[in-house]
Amino acid sequence: MRFYLSTLAGHRRGVLVLLGWSTLEGVPAFFGGKLVGTAVDEGFAAGNPLAGVLWLLAFAALAVLGALGQRQVFARLGDVVEPMRDALVTQVVKGVLSDPTHRRTPDASAVAMITRHVEVVRDATAGVLVQARALLVTTIAALIGLATTAAALIWLVVLPILVALLLFGLMLPSLARRQRDAVMADERTAEASGSVLTGLRDVAACTASDEAGADIARQVDQQARATITVAWANSLRATVIAVGGFAPIALLVAFAPPLVASGRLTTGAVLAAVVYLTGSVNPALHGLARTTSTVVMRLMVALKRLQEVAPRDAGRPGDQVPAHGGFLLQDVAFGWSPDAEPVLRGLSLTLRPGDHLAVVGPSGIGKSTMAGLLTGLMAPDRGSVLFGGARVDRVTPAVRHHAIALIPQETYLFTGTVRENLALLAPWATDRDLAEAVEKVGAAPLLDRLGGLDATLGHAGEGLSAGEAQLLALARVYATSASVVILDEATSHLDPAAEARVERAFAQRGGILVVIAHRLSSALRAGRVLVMDGGKPLLGAHEHLLKTSALYGQLMLAWDPTHREDTPLPKR
Amino acid sequence: MAKPGDALLFSVTRRQVRPWLLLLNAAVATTGGLLLPAALADAVDMALSGTFVLVTVLWLLLLAATEIVGDAIGIVLAASITARTTARLRKMLSRHLLALGHPPRFAAGDAVSRLTGDCGNAGGVVVTLITLVVTVVSSVGAVVALALLDWRLAAVFAVSVPLAMLLVRTHMQLTADDVLAYQEVSGEISARLLDAVAGRHTIAAAGIADRESGRVLQPLPRLSSAGGGMWRTQAKMMWRAGLLLPAVELAVLIAAGFGILQGRLTPGDVLAALGYTALGMGIVGQIPQLTALERTRASAGRIAEVLASEVPDRPAPKPSGGGIELRGVSVEGALHDVSLTIPEGSFAALVGRSGAGKSTLAAVLGGLSAVDDGEVARDGEVGYAFERPALLGTTIGRSIAYGTDADEVRVRDAAVAAQVHDVLIRLPQGYGTPLSEVPLSGGEAQRVGLARAIVRDPEVLVLDDATASLDTVTEAKVDEALTTALPGRTRVVVTHRPATAARADVVVWLEDGRVRGTGTHAELWDDEDYRAVFTGGE
Repeated sequence: MRFYLSTLAGHRRGVLVLLGWSTLEGVPAFFGGKLVGTAVDEGFAAGNPLAGVLWLLAFAALAVLGALGQRQVFARLGDVVEPMRDALVTQVVKGVLSDPTHRRTPDASAVAMITRHVEVVRDATAGVLVQARALLVTTIAALIGLATTAAALIWLVVLPILVALLLFGLMLPSLARRQRDAVMADERTAEASGSVLTGLRDVAACTASDEAGADIARQVDQQARATITVAWANSLRATVIAVGGFAPIALLVAFAPPLVASGRLTTGAVLAAVVYLTGSVNPALHGLARTTSTVVMRLMVALKRLQEVAPRDAGRPGDQVPAHGGFLLQDVAFGWSPDAEPVLRGLSLTLRPGDHLAVVGPSGIGKSTMAGLLTGLMAPDRGSVLFGGARVDRVTPAVRHHAIALIPQETYLFTGTVRENLALLAPWATDRDLAEAVEKVGAAPLLDRLGGLDATLGHAGEGLSAGEAQLLALARVYATSASVVILDEATSHLDPAAEARVERAFAQRGGILVVIAHRLSSALRAGRVLVMDGGKPLLGAHEHLLKTSALYGQLMLAWDPTHREDTPLPKR
Repeated sequence: MAKPGDALLFSVTRRQVRPWLLLLNAAVATTGGLLLPAALADAVDMALSGTFVLVTVLWLLLLAATEIVGDAIGIVLAASITARTTARLRKMLSRHLLALGHPPRFAAGDAVSRLTGDCGNAGGVVVTLITLVVTVVSSVGAVVALALLDWRLAAVFAVSVPLAMLLVRTHMQLTADDVLAYQEVSGEISARLLDAVAGRHTIAAAGIADRESGRVLQPLPRLSSAGGGMWRTQAKMMWRAGLLLPAVELAVLIAAGFGILQGRLTPGDVLAALGYTALGMGIVGQIPQLTALERTRASAGRIAEVLASEVPDRPAPKPSGGGIELRGVSVEGALHDVSLTIPEGSFAALVGRSGAGKSTLAAVLGGLSAVDDGEVARDGEVGYAFERPALLGTTIGRSIAYGTDADEVRVRDAAVAAQVHDVLIRLPQGYGTPLSEVPLSGGEAQRVGLARAIVRDPEVLVLDDATASLDTVTEAKVDEALTTALPGRTRVVVTHRPATAARADVVVWLEDGRVRGTGTHAELWDDEDYRAVFTGGE
C-alpha cells in the first residue's frame, strides 16, 4: 500500500493536472441548477422567452465546458495510471526474480494471477481517479452552488448527506471483509477445480469422481454464499446512500412553503435546489458509494496480494576478494531449520583447480545444498565455506558470479535468438566461442537443427525437448570464463551417453567441476566422490569408497545387480 | 438467432422462483421510479404555492421508499440469482467433465476457464435480461410520461435522442486496436516472466536478476503506449458521450420553457420533464448490456459444448480367472496389436525407450483408458501409482485415502509401506495438513502416490514409473515394503532402471507400440538392443 501511494505521489504533477481539469468538469454541476432556475425565473416565467433560451444556452455551454474537462481528465489519465502500472510491474518482476528461496514458487497460474492483480490495480486506480474524484468534485460544486441559491435551506440538505456518508464510512470495514472473503472464495474455487481438472487421470485411477465432484461443489457453494453475503452488505449500503440522498429533497419541499410564502425563496431558487440535488448530488453520491465499495475493495485486495511478491531487503552485498581459485570447506553444517535433522554436518573438503567431484546420495537428502553453499546463495549454519580464502557469500557479487557457474536441473531459456540465450552469462563471447562450446557439449546437431545462432527460440524453449534445453544451458556455461562449474542434476534429461560426453567436456575444460549426480555413473568419472546420507558425509575416491562404505557399495549394487557375478562392482 | 447455449440457459433458469420475484420487484420499483418525477413536480409546485399539503408530501415519500426498498431487494435478489445459476452450471459442468474421465477430452486450462470464467458469465443471464427489459420498459414509460405532461416534450425528446446518438456513435470501435495490442503485450510479459521464473536458479546463481528483470520488462514501453492510446480514445468517447444527456436535456428544457410561457406547464413540471428525460435516456446506457448478453450466450455455448460431448462407454473387463490377458490390443497412435499374459501374483516390468507405448499399455492394462481394438481380461480392483502423481483432496491424509473411505489407521499403514510416513508426521499439522500447504519434493509426492495405491488394497498394482525420483536404495525399500503390504498381488511396473527390471518375474520389452520381446531381465540382457534401452548405447 505504501509503495502504491508513494508511486502515486511520484506522479504528483500528473495527479495535480488531473485535479485541475476536473475542476472544469465540476463547472456545470456548480452553475447548472442556478442557470435552470434563472431561465425559469427571469425568462419563461417572466414572459421573456428569449432570456430563458439564452440562459439555457449558457447552461449548454457550461455542459460543453464540463465535457471538455472530462475529456482532458481521461486523456491525462494515462500519464498517471500507466507509469504507476509500469512501476508496479517492475517491482513485481524484480521481487519474483530476486528471491530464489521462495518457498512457494509461482507457477503458470500464479503468474497469471499476478498479471490479473496488476490489471486490477491499474483499472481500479483509473476508476478511483475518474469516478471518485469527479463525483467528489461534482458533489462539492453542487453543494456550494446550492448554498449560494438557497442558503436558508443548506443545513437541511447537508446534514442528511453527512449522516449518510458517516454511516457509509462505518460500514466500509465489514464490507471490505466480506468482499475479501468473496475474492478468496473465488480463488479457492479456481484452485479446487484446477487441481481436479489437471489431475483427471488420477481421479480416474482412484475412481474418485464423486469425491472430486464434491470437493469442487463445496468450494462452488461457498463462493456462491460469499457472493450473496457481499450483496446483502451492498444492499444495505445502497439503502443508506439512497435515503441520505433523498431526504434533503423531501425536507426541502416540506420546509420550503413558509419560506416561499414569506418571499425568502424564489421559484427559481427552489427549482435550482431540486435540480442540484436530483441532477448532481444524488447521482454523485450513488456513484461514489459504488466506486468505493467495489473498486476500492478490489484495489486493496489486489495490492495486498501483490505485496506478497514484493522484493525483500537483500542486505549488504559482500566486498571480499578471493586470493585464488580454490575452495576450502571446514566442518560445514547446514539444516533447513534449527529443529530439523541437518542435511549436512562435519563436512571438510578442499577443491583445487582441476578437481572433479561427484556428489551422490539418496534423493531428497539435500544434495542441492552443496550447490547452494558453493555458490554462496546459502550460508552454512556452522563451519565455513571459503573461496580463495574469503567467505564465499561475502565475496564481491560481481567476482563471485564471474568465477562460479551453476547449471541447475531446470533450464532457463527465454524468447530471443539462440545466440542471446547462449551468451547470457558471457555477453562478450564471439560466435566462434559459442560454436566451440556447443560442439564440446555435443549440441552441434541440435544447433544445426535449430538453424544456427540466429535462429529464434520461443517461450520456455518451445519445440525443444527437456534434454535439448539442458544441452543449450550446458553450452551456455561452457562458454563462460567461470573457473568453478557446478552441475546440479544438469544432465538429468540426457541419455547416459550424452551425459558422459558433457561431463568429460567439462572435466577437460579445466578449473573445478562439481557434479551433483543424477545417475551413479557420474561417480565413476569423478576424481572424488562425496556421499551424502544425512549423517557425516563420506568423501573419497570411487575404489576407496567401495572398500570402506557399505552405503556406497549398496548404492552401486542397486544400480545394476544383474551382473554382480561376472563384474562384481562397476569399474572406472 | 438461437445459439447452442440458449437451451442450456433456459433449462437452468426455468424452474427457479427467484427470477419471477426479481421481475415482480423490478415492476414495483420501476413503477415507483416512473411516478416519482411527477410526484416531485407536484411537491415542488406545492412548495412554490407556499402551502404545505400532507398528502402530496406523503405520496412523494411513499414512492421514494418504494424505489429505495425495491432497489435494495433487487440487489440481493440479483446477486442470489446469478450466484445460484453460476453454482448450478459449475456443478453440472464439473460432474460432466469428471464423467468424461481420462484421457481428458478438454485441456485442463481450457476446462478450468470454462468452469470459472464461462459459468460466471453465463450465470448472469437472468439478471442481464431482466435489467434490459426493465430499462426498456422504464425508458418507454418515461417517454409516455413526457407525452402525458405535454406531447411536444415527447416529440422533442424523440427527435433529439437519435441526433445526439449519431454524434456519439462513431467512436465505439476505435479502441479495439489498442485493446488488442495491450492484451498481446501483457501476455508477452507474462510469458517472459514465466520463462524467467522457471530459470530462477540460474538467474540467482549468476546474479543477473536485474538484467533478466529488464529482459522480462522489455515490452513494457509498448504496453504503456497501448494503454495511453486506450485512455485517449476513451477520452474522445467520453467527451461525446458526456454531451449526450445535456444536449437532450437542453432541447427538452427549451420546449418545457415555452410550455411554462404558454401556461401549459408549471415550474414543477420542468423538473418532472428533466427527470423523465434522464429516465428515458437510460436505454442509451444499455448498449454494453447487449454486449454482455452476447457474451453470456457465447459462454453458455462453450458450456453446452462440453455437456454435449458423450460420456464414453467403458465396459467392465472380461474376467480372466486370475492374471491379466491382452488379446490384439490396439490404441490409435500408441499400441499395435499387443497380446500378452501376465500371470496372477507375478511381478512384470514394462521397459522400452520413451515413446515406446509403456504408459499407454499400463493405462490399458488397468482399464484407466479404453482400447480402440482388442480385448482386456482382468479380475479385481486396480491400484495405480504414477511418476508425477496429481495429489488431490483437502488434506495430505485425505489425498492418500482419496476416493475411498479408508480410516486413519489404514492411511498411516499405507504411508508407512510407501516409506513416506516419516515425512508426513513432520508436517505442521501431520496428516491433517492442507494439501496446498505441503511442500513435497518429486520423490515425496511419488511415495504419497504409492501410498494412495496401497491403501486401496488392490488385486493388481500398476506403477507407471512411480519410483523414478527415488534413489535406488529407497526404491528397493519401497519394493520390499510393497511385497510385505500387498503379498501375492499382480504387479506391473513401468521402469527405466535395470535394477528394477532385474527383480521382475517377467519383462515386457516394448518398441514402437509393439512387444519386442518377453522374458527375464537376465535373458534379455544378452541382446545389445535391450541393453541400449538402459544405457543409451554407451
